[in-house]
Amino acid sequence: MKTPSNSIKRRFALKFLRTLVRIRKSTHQPSPSQSSTWEIRRRAQRIKLAAYSSMARTVGSKRAWSRALTMKLRAAMGNRPWSMIKQESKKMTRRKLIAKRKRHMEKDLNSGVQELRRLVPGGQWMDPLSLMQETAHFLRCLETQVRVMRSIVAEGEGFPC
Amino acid sequence: MSSGGGRRTSSTGSTIQQPRSASRISDDQIIDLVSKLRDVLPEIRNHSSDRVSASKVLQETCSHIKRLHREVDDLSERLSQLLSTIDANSAEAAIIRSLIRQ
Repeated sequence: MKTPSNSIKRRFALKFLRTLVRIRKSTHQPSPSQSSTWEIRRRAQRIKLAAYSSMARTVGSKRAWSRALTMKLRAAMGNRPWSMIKQESKKMTRRKLIAKRKRHMEKDLNSGVQELRRLVPGGQWMDPLSLMQETAHFLRCLETQVRVMRSIVAEGEGFPC
Repeated sequence: MSSGGGRRTSSTGSTIQQPRSASRISDDQIIDLVSKLRDVLPEIRNHSSDRVSASKVLQETCSHIKRLHREVDDLSERLSQLLSTIDANSAEAAIIRSLIRQ
């Protein structure tokens, strides 16, 4: 099984930390009491997007899930709404793509795969076997992301991780 | 890929109904899925049985992903708090320490 390596962890950590520094610079108030709850929440959203986007960029265009996630994040960050069809239509015509997705959704009734397709970026467009492979890789990367974030928080909060 | 109608019993002992319109996830794919995801999911690993059903694996996978997303939410909140309370020098020191530890 292809699993993300330590280099993914390192490259993700670097990208994410750089983004954190940038976010801090652009949102830091001279005195802590000036950061309202609302500002903190809003920055938390930015940090969350930065985490997913840093991971997607680390994995690059190698996996279908990272490509789909990149497109989704671009939409979330305010660019025009993305279309998976546009992205995938280099390989297949629009009509075939929609038919393919419909086939996947029909076959998946009652098998529990439907929810997985929703949870894995780009999952609705994958054949079942690819879906499983992408899921395994996506899961490992997500766990790596969480582990790195945990250790950053631990450093910041002053406790050993 | 297997196809055809009627019921079949897979090697995991569960019954899988095969629709006429060709393959849902086949038995081989399910076994492949279980072995791939079993390494990744601690819950399944602990039970370490070859007979864990595909739907259980799928369920656990979905719960696991959702749990991780919730944790990202929580960690992002805490990071945001930290960024507002920590001063510049401590922030840089913490960041450098984090990098070294990765």
